[in-house]
Amino acid sequence: MHEINSRSAPSADFSKVKCIEGFECIQAEYSAYLTDESKLSARPFDYLFFPKSEAELAAVMAELHRRNIPMTFASARTGLVGGCVPQEGALISLEHLDQVQAVYRDPASAEWRVKAQTSVSLKNLDGMLRIKQFPGLEQSPDPVVAQGLRDFREDPNQYFYPPDPTEMSASLGGSVVTNASGARTYRYGPTRAWVRGIRVFLADSEYLDIPRGKYFASPGGQFVVWNTQGVASTITIPDYPQPRTKSATGFYAAPQMDLIDLFIGSEGTLGVVTSVDVALLKREEKVSIIQFLDSDEQAVQLAEAMRAESRLQLDFLEFYSGNALNLLRELQKVEPSTVGMPAIPDDARGAIFFEMSFDPHTEELEYAALEEVIASCGASLERSWAGYESRELDRFKVFRHMVPETINSILAERKKQYPGIHKLGTDMAVPDGHLQEMWQLYKSCCEELNLEWYAFGHIGNNHIHVNILPRNMDDLNNGMQLYAAFARKAVELGGSVSAEHGIGKIKSKFLQYMFTPGQIQQMRRVKEALDPKGILNPNDIFPAEVHP
Amino acid sequence: MLIIDHERCTACKVCIRNCPFGALRIEDGLLQVNESCTLCGACVNVCRFKALGIERKQASPEELAKYKGVFVWVELDEETTPRQPRKVVLELLGKGRQLANALGEELVAVVLAGTGEVDLQVFGQHGADRVILCRHELLETYSTDGFTNVMCAVISAKKPAVVLYGATPHGRDFAPRVAARLKLGLTADCTGLEIDTDRQLVQTRPAFGGNIMASIITPYNRPQTATVRPNVFPVPEKQPAGSAVTEEFPVTLNRSAIRTRVVEKNTLVDGSEASIEDARVIVAGGRGCQKASNLDLLRTLAGQLGGTLAGSRAIVEQGWIPHTRQVGQSGTTVGPELYIAVGVSGAIQHVVGMSSSKTVIAINKDPEAGIFKTADLGVVGDALEILPILSALIEKEKQMQAASS
Amino acid sequence: MKIVVCVKQVPEVTNVQVDPATGTLIREGVKSILNPFCEYALDHAVRLKQAFDNISISAITMGPPQARDVLLRCLELGADEGILVTDRKFAGADTWATALTLAEAIRTAVPDFDLILVGKQAIDGDTAQVGPEIAEILGLAQITYGVEVTLSSSRKQVRVTQEVERGYEVVEAALPALVTCSKGEVVRRAPSFKDVLQARKKLIRTIRADAIAIPEGQLGLQGSFTQVVKVFPPPAKKTNTILQNLEVEKAAQEIFSFLKEKRFL
Repeated sequence: MHEINSRSAPSADFSKVKCIEGFECIQAEYSAYLTDESKLSARPFDYLFFPKSEAELAAVMAELHRRNIPMTFASARTGLVGGCVPQEGALISLEHLDQVQAVYRDPASAEWRVKAQTSVSLKNLDGMLRIKQFPGLEQSPDPVVAQGLRDFREDPNQYFYPPDPTEMSASLGGSVVTNASGARTYRYGPTRAWVRGIRVFLADSEYLDIPRGKYFASPGGQFVVWNTQGVASTITIPDYPQPRTKSATGFYAAPQMDLIDLFIGSEGTLGVVTSVDVALLKREEKVSIIQFLDSDEQAVQLAEAMRAESRLQLDFLEFYSGNALNLLRELQKVEPSTVGMPAIPDDARGAIFFEMSFDPHTEELEYAALEEVIASCGASLERSWAGYESRELDRFKVFRHMVPETINSILAERKKQYPGIHKLGTDMAVPDGHLQEMWQLYKSCCEELNLEWYAFGHIGNNHIHVNILPRNMDDLNNGMQLYAAFARKAVELGGSVSAEHGIGKIKSKFLQYMFTPGQIQQMRRVKEALDPKGILNPNDIFPAEVHP
Repeated sequence: MLIIDHERCTACKVCIRNCPFGALRIEDGLLQVNESCTLCGACVNVCRFKALGIERKQASPEELAKYKGVFVWVELDEETTPRQPRKVVLELLGKGRQLANALGEELVAVVLAGTGEVDLQVFGQHGADRVILCRHELLETYSTDGFTNVMCAVISAKKPAVVLYGATPHGRDFAPRVAARLKLGLTADCTGLEIDTDRQLVQTRPAFGGNIMASIITPYNRPQTATVRPNVFPVPEKQPAGSAVTEEFPVTLNRSAIRTRVVEKNTLVDGSEASIEDARVIVAGGRGCQKASNLDLLRTLAGQLGGTLAGSRAIVEQGWIPHTRQVGQSGTTVGPELYIAVGVSGAIQHVVGMSSSKTVIAINKDPEAGIFKTADLGVVGDALEILPILSALIEKEKQMQAASS
Repeated sequence: MKIVVCVKQVPEVTNVQVDPATGTLIREGVKSILNPFCEYALDHAVRLKQAFDNISISAITMGPPQARDVLLRCLELGADEGILVTDRKFAGADTWATALTLAEAIRTAVPDFDLILVGKQAIDGDTAQVGPEIAEILGLAQITYGVEVTLSSSRKQVRVTQEVERGYEVVEAALPALVTCSKGEVVRRAPSFKDVLQARKKLIRTIRADAIAIPEGQLGLQGSFTQVVKVFPPPAKKTNTILQNLEVEKAAQEIFSFLKEKRFL
């Protein structure tokens, strides 16, 4: 089926919705809403709304739509590309839509699922799943919901939601509209792979319920949306191929694609997601291992060898460059406890960080494959750290985040001297077989220009984050040119310029590296079909200056 | 009764020199015990040949009823001359008085002291009926073995119904040894004590880091012994006319019984600041202070308020402040007029150590921090930014006050 | 030379929540860990082992069968063997019955020990009694609150830097002796994955009630002098004011006003 009907939400009184009016007032009392983790600053805007229900949201959207006021949507504000930082019009904070609505076993697939509102944080969801307690569900008047919860509690297994996009304070809905990914994407794929249904509000305040596997594009590549007035909008899906890597660059498109995939990763430019159904997976016990190595090149070599070893099933495969380890060593010198781990071995010049299933209680532990592959690259498991208790996994995770966090704090200091300076963080992934080539380019270019740089991240997905820290404006300019060169190279190799951060407002110029003007035009037509007034998350993905 | 294994005994006489009651002697080359033995166990502990043992029977209710009186171990402040009891002793005398009244028995202060002068009047003035004074040069400074031996001798001779110790480092060091030697129940770190209708001592203490409270009794043996957290019970009002009878208890203690030797003392250069146990104002830092140098902001504020700096276990373990300044279940229990918690998450172990504070202000970035549940005023925000501004405000205020007066 | 480290498995207490309706602990999802102070004791044992040759470390714990997990952690971190003292008959032991059982188990399993290291206290019970009670039962000298532990060159004496209220004291005692530890590595050690794998090849002995010389009446709940008669939630907290989303200047001003109002200025 490629045709779908939108519905109108129950009505609510627009005047009763909490609203802060006037930029000065918002600045004075609600300064947190002026930016997100990208640190991009908002331009003056006029309204800040806090709808408490879908009905209130629909009332706000209907009113703003009528008055042609652009609306930007925010939830946890953890994005890295300024997607929810308003430049005009109204900001609608979805933070009060934060209830888990059901936990249930899907009869057809037999998988456990959670239905939740958009602003449930990933951290809270994880906590609720761990203790199997969901505020509000216990007293649900709906007998089906109450029964689902009882069944879930009786299931002796533990379950988790696999996408782990590093920033656990992110909202569930936010992670869906950005198709967030992270370290565990290595094994479980990006968020897209776990979304089973969404409710999305369109620009005119009507909404669509889209379960996965119901609405597919017609053979001619079209969807038709009928609204309650009987008016049809026709969406023609773009015909560009997806890169052979993870990607968060532009709209997803594929022949006879599922409609749900158009909205996942659309960065809120096509509609606003208020509720999602996601699949859970049985939680297994894991061991985190940090393997210390003699060089960055050995790390690249080991990563490829581990990926090639079919007997190894890793949850993630991450990288620390030698210079990133040095950064942490400096921290440990000042304050041994900040890093939360013992002193990094003096002779370590690079490291690989991976996680895999591990049952601490079995008598027979068979890790021959692991020992072999590590030995084959000239490394030894004796030079590793391992942890499997939950508190250990937690502190290894903190260690994993320590490099980017440290870089951000160094840069915040540096900004005080050079306000124009900002971090240059690459987010490019390349297809298998091109990792070494890409790494050589990163390293030789950064060293040639004598830049301060650190590398870390998702080496298992050929997706290393290179962070350049400009020490002055010259460094910044050199770094920006390098960045562009890296982006071109990644595309040339068949990769993605933004593998996980998305485009938002600050990476829109990179869209043209990956897409031809014609392809970008196809994307715009999709947007125009669903949001003809161009009022949903304006300036995201498509820069305003060149909007037709 | 005392059991002597003559096969193992070498008649070395070490036990004789250590018996507080002169109950042991060698007759015809064999060690013998007489009726003065109270089963205090000093001899068993010093015997290197494992030739001595004690068999204790569970006492009947009639037997239990023979144990009378509430004893309080008097920990002396080694810095004072004449020696004064520590504040917790007075708190225990206040509580002990209530217990003794409920039982209709006497309240006894047990003083273990060296040969120097001790202020003995203070005990009667705070409710004691009697003082048992144990003097020996080896009691001048604390040792586990010395204090254990003497306390066991007193208890086994005097048969009290209740013995209370302050839950100070020394109290927690030797009270369990006394309990193990005499085979007594011991409840640690009590925060509540009362006598129930069966004349049992009901001892209430926090468990699971203070998440729950447990009430504990010791039904079948006597005395019932407990260590009690300082700063939980009030110091009773001093009665200048109150007086107590002093009874000298003969002490037998031999250097050979003391197996530990202090070879070095290292007092932290900390003397100018008040100890946190007695402080009126405390500014306490936690992990949220991020690094040691940021504690200067807290020191400044503490200085302005006439208070002192303390901290959570987290920052003590990181070595930012010495353990002498640690508040909480594994540190010191404090009870100041004002407690300002800065970047302290408020783990329950910390909270039980400061919950008797009269007024609590908490500053923390995390709105979910447990410390806010105990605070009179909680501010969600970055203390490292707030404190300098606050100190500046206070400074201005002080200048204005100075100018106007 | 033989070192015995007594360890305890404890819930990760900071995460324990109390059900407000029933006043009982919510145990679902609460993990068990090696008591941090016990880990310090093990740290000191491992350091001694690294500094002197011919030292073997036995980690011993009393608890339910799953307490084996903390022995595994000890084996990963450097203990040579584990001793699990477990039996239904030990259940409900107070500190005295626990100390008596552990002391007898040590006498049975490692009769020729030279040094016993224990944590200063467990973070669930917080009594700090079991260590001194074991020392008394085994007739050992004891040093509490140790932060540094070394041996004399003759290995006949233990020398301990001890936390005292006004600072530190260095205390010596002849071996055998018992030391309770209140500090160790600032940051928990991380074993290598090799250590993790090898720990599972080391010996864990199990000791049951019939293997130790204590009459049944002195074990577990029956052998305990103290009895818990009531468990209840702590008294309700006072009502309070929590200020959020303030600019820092405003926040400082609020605190300042509060201090003035309460006459602390």
